[in-house]
Amino acid sequence: MDIERGIILEKFSNEYFKKLANDLRFDLNDEEIEALKRDFIEVEKQERLFESIDTDGIEPMVYPFEAPTVFLREDQVEEVLSQKDALENAADVRMGHVHVPKVVK
Amino acid sequence: MKIHEQKSFQEARDQLKESQAALNALVSIYEEKEPSKSEGKLAGVPVVLKDNINTKGHLTTASSKILENYVPVYDATIVKKLKEAGASIVAKASMDELGMGGTNRNALTGPVHNPYDLDRISGGSSGGCAVVVASGIVPLSIGTDTGDSIRKPAAYTGVVGVKPTYGRISRYGIIPYASSLDTVGYFTTNVADAALALEVLAGRDDHDMTSSYEEVLEYSQLLNADLEGKRIGIFKTVNEEVKDPIIKAGFEQLEEKLRAKGAILVEKRMPEQYMNLIAPVYRTIANAEATANHSNLDGIRFGRRENGESVDAVMTNSRTAGFSSYVRARFVIGSYSLFEENQDKLFRKAQKIRRLLVRAYADLFKDIDGLLAIAAPTLAPKIKESSDLRFQEASFAEDHMQLGNFSGYPSMTLPLGFEDGLPFAVNLTCRPFEEETMFDLADGIEECTGLAGQVKEVRA
Amino acid sequence: MSQYDVTIGIEIHCELKTKTKMFSSAPVSFGEVANTSVNEIDLGHPGTLPCVNKEAVALAIKACTGTHCTIDPLVRFDRKNYYYSDLPKGFQITQQFYPIGKDGYVEIEVDGETKKVGLERIHMEEDTAKQFHKETGTYIDFNRAGVPLIEIVSKPDMHSAKEAAAYVETLRKILFYLNVSDVKMEEGSMRCDVNISLSDDPEKLGTKVEVKNLNSISNVQKAVQAEIERQSALLDAGEKVEQATRRFDEASKTTVLMRKKEGTVDYKYFPEPNIFPIQLDSAWIESIQNSLEELPDARIERFMDSFGLNEYDASTLVADRDMADFYEEVMKTTKDGKKAANWVLGDLSAWMNKHNRKFDAMPVPASYLSSLIEVIQSGKISGKQGKSVFEKMMEGKDPLQVIQEEGMEQMSDDSALLAIVDSVLDANPQSIADYKNGKDRAIGFLVGQVMKASKGKANPKKTNELIREQLQKR
Repeated sequence: MDIERGIILEKFSNEYFKKLANDLRFDLNDEEIEALKRDFIEVEKQERLFESIDTDGIEPMVYPFEAPTVFLREDQVEEVLSQKDALENAADVRMGHVHVPKVVK
Repeated sequence: MKIHEQKSFQEARDQLKESQAALNALVSIYEEKEPSKSEGKLAGVPVVLKDNINTKGHLTTASSKILENYVPVYDATIVKKLKEAGASIVAKASMDELGMGGTNRNALTGPVHNPYDLDRISGGSSGGCAVVVASGIVPLSIGTDTGDSIRKPAAYTGVVGVKPTYGRISRYGIIPYASSLDTVGYFTTNVADAALALEVLAGRDDHDMTSSYEEVLEYSQLLNADLEGKRIGIFKTVNEEVKDPIIKAGFEQLEEKLRAKGAILVEKRMPEQYMNLIAPVYRTIANAEATANHSNLDGIRFGRRENGESVDAVMTNSRTAGFSSYVRARFVIGSYSLFEENQDKLFRKAQKIRRLLVRAYADLFKDIDGLLAIAAPTLAPKIKESSDLRFQEASFAEDHMQLGNFSGYPSMTLPLGFEDGLPFAVNLTCRPFEEETMFDLADGIEECTGLAGQVKEVRA
Repeated sequence: MSQYDVTIGIEIHCELKTKTKMFSSAPVSFGEVANTSVNEIDLGHPGTLPCVNKEAVALAIKACTGTHCTIDPLVRFDRKNYYYSDLPKGFQITQQFYPIGKDGYVEIEVDGETKKVGLERIHMEEDTAKQFHKETGTYIDFNRAGVPLIEIVSKPDMHSAKEAAAYVETLRKILFYLNVSDVKMEEGSMRCDVNISLSDDPEKLGTKVEVKNLNSISNVQKAVQAEIERQSALLDAGEKVEQATRRFDEASKTTVLMRKKEGTVDYKYFPEPNIFPIQLDSAWIESIQNSLEELPDARIERFMDSFGLNEYDASTLVADRDMADFYEEVMKTTKDGKKAANWVLGDLSAWMNKHNRKFDAMPVPASYLSSLIEVIQSGKISGKQGKSVFEKMMEGKDPLQVIQEEGMEQMSDDSALLAIVDSVLDANPQSIADYKNGKDRAIGFLVGQVMKASKGKANPKKTNELIREQLQKR
């Protein structure tokens, strides 16, 4: 366990996890990062377990059932929200728009 | 209680309110009855919904802080169906945050208590739904099952929990967890009610492109408990892994009764190597799909918004405050497995192994009508002692019901017996879209156990 | 021209002309009140699921057919994951792994030469919301969120600014002709990103620079030219071209750095679990392909064959589908194709330009123009009169009515004209004498007098004939 943990620490720095989190638009505190590091020991183990399974020639299973459908929606207007409903849940609405701090492109 | 035993909306509502102190099963309660049809298969039946089922104009939080103020502007398809059938919605039930968990401890409103022992968990993620039925307050509650989230809590609380075939019930308007595994299902106290509920809930919905065109039958009318000549597989690999002698003995007694009713029992096994892959494959796929599915929860258009200097800061602050540590950790892991350089090792690899597992699982069903296994290897754990396993290793006897989600097969849990006053259960799985067979077998099993309609009332 | 090998590839996003969104039944609109053409799906509300628009698929099939792409009849979608305030779900549903169309081409013409430009792929996806950046913050309108798009990715087959512009123009024409899209670049229904790289080694590609969001064909050409010059200057000076995304600044006619590329973004693509693969019915695909609108090249050929136009006139007409449609309408009730083309390309186009109108908003029916052409042809009015009738016609009046109201109809009636001729001759004995003395010019004077007396209604040709006749008799 200790050796594995050492490897993880080397591979995954606190900054690395912070970046992973920030890329997903949230933060992790130090305690959360420590817990996540323990999780990643398991992730690595899992990766090795997966590696041991021969999946040559096996396609990924994306859906439980794989018979293709044929359904396509007809191009008819059906469901439209009023502006009030569309914006009802937004925390900051101004002039009929959802407002956010200025986006710098 | 059973569906045909009438209970008024008001009575159900008041009992639910009273139960809150002991069970803490609910996120919100309807003060007034909403309009619904006066006739129909569920006319006048009070129903509780898991809080990830969107109800127009009524708070729907998925037990997550980030949705603590979310009031949907549309109804889930099944909400419309329930109202069409005459049901009245009385409350929204607590769940593990966004469905992610198996204890119902990870809910914004705190843990749900098991009516058989208030110090024990309900199981999750549909824990609130399980206990409102188990405590006899309502006859039907609707949940979701991504990796046993209905069937495990049903086992811990001694009720019938049904996960039909993937695609049987529309997912439109259900706040997702992992789209390729998510299945809408429900809790009842008996098999006849379970058969009836599917008649109402199932059916093609053009809003859900994965929903099935398979014909929905009058399951409750077709119900046939006769087991004579029925071939029932016994999932030995699972049962042998279970340690609890009383649960094992309970299952063996059931086997005897089934034989006595003329059923042919067939031993079935799956390689342990495969069984040990269930949990890791599940986690990998579920976390990956979940991290993408919940990228819409950013505080911009709905939900809790925290301030920030930039739009990125608004999103980051909202999501940090809005998700528990546990959920954020799972998002990181899910995202990691989706990185281009990792997909072949993790996400895509897990999808490939999923195929191998489903192939092996499908093989078990070639010469049987249904497969029986012990649902959960233990009784409901104590709240204090339980934890949502992050990545600690666990026995596959805990996770085997996830095969039903990998394969999409219909699968249900039925109460089997008691140990020290706590329920344990049996799990039955059938081939896809063969719910009729599943309910028939379940009806026969229920005759063996004699546990139809059992509840455990809780005095406040 | 540049001494370096120039390689250009172009990505075009094109909004499809559907009534509803790619994955929801909310309407596609332009210029509607903000956040009124949306439903819960477009807003990415929890629990929503996508539902694929049949017409969007049909239009994508048309686009693929018009560009000779191979169509994949198994339609599959994937998720492209990133966070941005204009992207409601936090992912875009697109076709990363299996685009609906692959390996196509279009033929472009540059300096009289025809060449093929290859298409890598055409795939379907959904548009993002529109953001307005103001001092007080960013304002988001989700009406555009979920509008069906196709993205058309060329092969790096172009080598000059002219080729780049010709490629965009050709695609624009094809998509417009097939009714796939409005292709209004200035309104953003067609958006263009160009990748340009220069190299002094023909075996190796240089560093790729992307110029984003070009909003007109002339800007495509200018931007590519500017970028070639900029990169050439850098390479000449022995400097390196940096991989970056730039934009075109119209005022300075140069490209401006937007952001440097810091490695590639990992979009964590994976198959969309909420949309099962969709097997398209081959009969349906065929029926779309068989009823495909005529493509520009075929139309040019037909105009030349049926209406006797030269290639220049035919292709000028066809370049604007609405103009060509109008021309064809005119040709339904008139015969002289060349005359009609002259009117449409000449006076009519000039009028439209002057009044800032486009042929999709033509103020008068085509039948007006054909009647005008007919009355001139038959000699009822003169060509000169025709011009003045045209002006009034463009105000919305039937040209026949104008002619009648203004009493313009030429006098071809012999007896009435004869009376005027006689009285003019009577009043001008000197001219008769001049004529008899061999001064032919006298006729011109007499004709002029008749015209005057008839207030311009006399048919000049007829008048001329009658005067000669009468002079012989005197």
